[in-house]
Amino acid sequence: MTNTASVGAKRGAPAVTRPPASEDATRWGRLVAWKPYQALTGLIFASPRRQFLLLGIIPLIWLITQHLGPMLQMFQVSLLDAYPVAPGKETHFTLDNYGTFFTESVFQKPFFRTIIYSASLTFVTLLITYPVAYYLARYVKRENQLALLLLVLIPFWTGEIVRTYAIMILLGNNGAVNIALQWLGLIDRPIPFMFTGFSVSVGLIYLTALYMLLPLYSALEKLPRNFTEAAADLGAGPWTRFRRITLPLSLEGIGSGCTLVFLISTGYYGTPVLLGGPNSTVFAQTIAGFFHVAGDKWPTGAAFAVIMFVAALVLSGIFTRLIAFLRKGDS
Amino acid sequence: MSSEKEPLVRLEGISKSFGKAVALHEMDLTISPGEFVTFLGPSGCGKSTTLRILGGFEKPDTGRIILSGEDVTALPPERRHINMVFQDYALFPHMTVAQNMSFGLELKGMSKSAIKARLDELMAFLELTPFADRYPSQLSGGQRQRVALARALAPDPDLLLLDEPLGALDAKLRHQVQLELKSIQRRTHKAFFFVTHDQEEALTMSDRIVVMNAGRIEQDGTPEDLYFRPASRFVAEFVGDTNLIEGEIRGVDRASGQVRFDWQGIPLTGLAASGAPQEGQKMAASLRLENLSLHAEQPGTANAVRGRITERVFLGSRSAVDIALEDAPGQTLRVFTDVATLSQHGDAPVWVSWDADAMAILPH
Amino acid sequence: MSRSHRVVLSVVFWAFVVYLFVPLALMILMGFKDSKFIGFPIKSYTLDWYIGVFGDTELMVTFLYSVVIAVASTLVSVLMGTWLAVLLAGRAFVGRAAVYALMILPALVPGVISAIAFRIYARQLGIEPGMFAIIWAHAVHNVPFVTLVVMARLTTLPKSMGEAARDLGADPFVTFTRITLPYLKPALMGASIFCLLLSFDDFVRSFFLGSYQPTLPVLIFAKLRSGMSPEINAISAVALVLTAVLGVWAERSSRRMNKDT
Repeated sequence: MTNTASVGAKRGAPAVTRPPASEDATRWGRLVAWKPYQALTGLIFASPRRQFLLLGIIPLIWLITQHLGPMLQMFQVSLLDAYPVAPGKETHFTLDNYGTFFTESVFQKPFFRTIIYSASLTFVTLLITYPVAYYLARYVKRENQLALLLLVLIPFWTGEIVRTYAIMILLGNNGAVNIALQWLGLIDRPIPFMFTGFSVSVGLIYLTALYMLLPLYSALEKLPRNFTEAAADLGAGPWTRFRRITLPLSLEGIGSGCTLVFLISTGYYGTPVLLGGPNSTVFAQTIAGFFHVAGDKWPTGAAFAVIMFVAALVLSGIFTRLIAFLRKGDS
Repeated sequence: MSSEKEPLVRLEGISKSFGKAVALHEMDLTISPGEFVTFLGPSGCGKSTTLRILGGFEKPDTGRIILSGEDVTALPPERRHINMVFQDYALFPHMTVAQNMSFGLELKGMSKSAIKARLDELMAFLELTPFADRYPSQLSGGQRQRVALARALAPDPDLLLLDEPLGALDAKLRHQVQLELKSIQRRTHKAFFFVTHDQEEALTMSDRIVVMNAGRIEQDGTPEDLYFRPASRFVAEFVGDTNLIEGEIRGVDRASGQVRFDWQGIPLTGLAASGAPQEGQKMAASLRLENLSLHAEQPGTANAVRGRITERVFLGSRSAVDIALEDAPGQTLRVFTDVATLSQHGDAPVWVSWDADAMAILPH
Repeated sequence: MSRSHRVVLSVVFWAFVVYLFVPLALMILMGFKDSKFIGFPIKSYTLDWYIGVFGDTELMVTFLYSVVIAVASTLVSVLMGTWLAVLLAGRAFVGRAAVYALMILPALVPGVISAIAFRIYARQLGIEPGMFAIIWAHAVHNVPFVTLVVMARLTTLPKSMGEAARDLGADPFVTFTRITLPYLKPALMGASIFCLLLSFDDFVRSFFLGSYQPTLPVLIFAKLRSGMSPEINAISAVALVLTAVLGVWAERSSRRMNKDT
């Protein structure tokens, strides 16, 4: 072995050793043999570390400025005594915007209403969609499942406002439900469904059912059928099988479905405006109110939004913990 | 720079760890041009790591890789004149057979006409011409394997790496492809670096086999060396079927290399496979099944023991029988024999005999 | 499992389907009513409302405005979402969990809060309410959906595929454009259509970040506030059919492509 061989080759950035491309080379052949391209890729791909940093830097900036930035900015504004800043004036740090919420019950009412609405309609959505997902995942043949799922998905491709309007037509005094009930002779005069908490709830369930259905379906679909068959073999009745086998094993889907529906339902604005009335104002409307009028109180609105977000996160966090605890206890 | 003595590939002191698990211990290895080298070993022995280091997919912690006299240790895969046939073939699903094959040629900057000529030549050689415009999903397992081979051969690499490429084929096809692969290697004069855990495959195809265990090379030699002169107990057990017996050295004849060996009180004579055994040492010995023969009467060979047949396994062209030894209670030997011989022996005691050079004495 | 369970569950399932479709069907039907007054019963029918939709210039401008916003925001979302997916599906790095959490954040912030956060941030950055502001908000909001879809597809790409390309002389860039991108095609298709629909359907962000020119949902909302009319039914029905057809088509074609490769 001669030690003169390959002494020159050192670790680190490899020299560009591509041969020149033929005149008649393909597009890709010409590209990789093109000097500026080689210089550029030589710089970028010199080491996996550099490559990773260059790959990561732009998404990272995007995440911090675009994903996190708005939330941080909102939090910052919620601590100011005035925003937008008037020229020549200084702003001061204050907690008054948060104080407003805790001192004025006008604001607390819609807040708690939102929490109660969202929580209870999450539960109702779970009750409605669980059997639907269960049927789809456990009783329908695998080759038909996708077609039925696609069918159920269709209404969800359309937007919040269009679907809210559909509910308005359904529930109005001359709406389909009232007309049908009158025609059946069950009622004499229309029931005023609209502009109540009821109509808001129906609308929100209509909007969010999908976010419950999909996680439930995928959890139930993963569950092997022979589990319940084995349980049946051991003499477990249908109810016991469901309570002891199916339900615990679908807790994960229940958890993520409920969290999603809860979080999303606290954020609807258009639907409660269109379907609700003065006695069903939700917190989203309260928050929006601070941004509507000119010369408005943005810091208070921002503070209220922060309160809403934190409350929603804390509640869904507690719920997730609870589900995790239940899962551990059962397995 | 590359003299005639210069090997094609030289690995110098290559080590690699993944976290706390050491995959390779300071490995040295050379591969000559045109050689069919097989890396053989159980999974996790470091053979695939060696292959991936050669291909450039893993960086060694220490050591150098010299390819045709050039240090390529720091070069990424795309800059090495080494191509690989992947275990799952890794054919590009959105490209036809021809497009898969020309991928590497395009990036070499070859002209369209040169690419076409090379494809035509290779497809004719590997009998792939009718499939040129098919997608990988439209091919059978054996055809995919050939396309993977063609794609790796197309850029005319110095060394071809094959990562258990026959694992996905069924037994019959596998055997056929083994022979095909060997013939392709002969006709292309390329160095093949083949990784497998299948000892039969290794014996069939290789010029040279490197047996790996726990990140170290156990033995590096011809298939015959490995089979008849295993360097270690591990090799003897891993390559082929064998009877391993344990005993003590009673004497060494330096001139002939013969070793007197005591097994459960039975005096035997064998040959030292490696090292220099000393009297009184505890050693193991490997007895290949086909080197043992059965007799009704005591034969006059160097080694003979008496026992009774306890188990007969019919294997088609031959049978395997287990013989419980009378001279060494609790010990059994397994022997290959033909059906005719076997039919002569009933329940009566039989003699098992073998020559001294059929018994390889191994370090314990 | 017993027959009675199957029957009961299938009744529940189809009742759910009816519950999903009946309101929309009634809405479409109401668009044919030959009266300005919304409500049942429908005594006579007309096509005038639907014909009117296509003759209304203001409406067409609004529709185009929505489409431009959807297309522009989708381009940004798909670019950034895919980039993030490649980063997150690649080699492990310190802080990956944090990057993942940040990535998913816009999808978890409830609508009105998200809209307000964008509104404040836009003012801070000096972006006037209007088309650009809406495009930007939609783009950011839709990134997580792209990332999730693309990541799911990327994890099914065998590692050996990229290694084979490198082995044959492709640098990481060529490997990405010639191997990874074609493999991601069905996911990118699906994610793009999903983004288009999310943007086209979005109300709350468009409402808070818009100026005088409304997007389609904002326009419907504004019209609804001044009273229901079959004209709104016709507009909504057209929007509904458009989005549903696009959604179903995307779902089907991406599934088919997924099967092929």
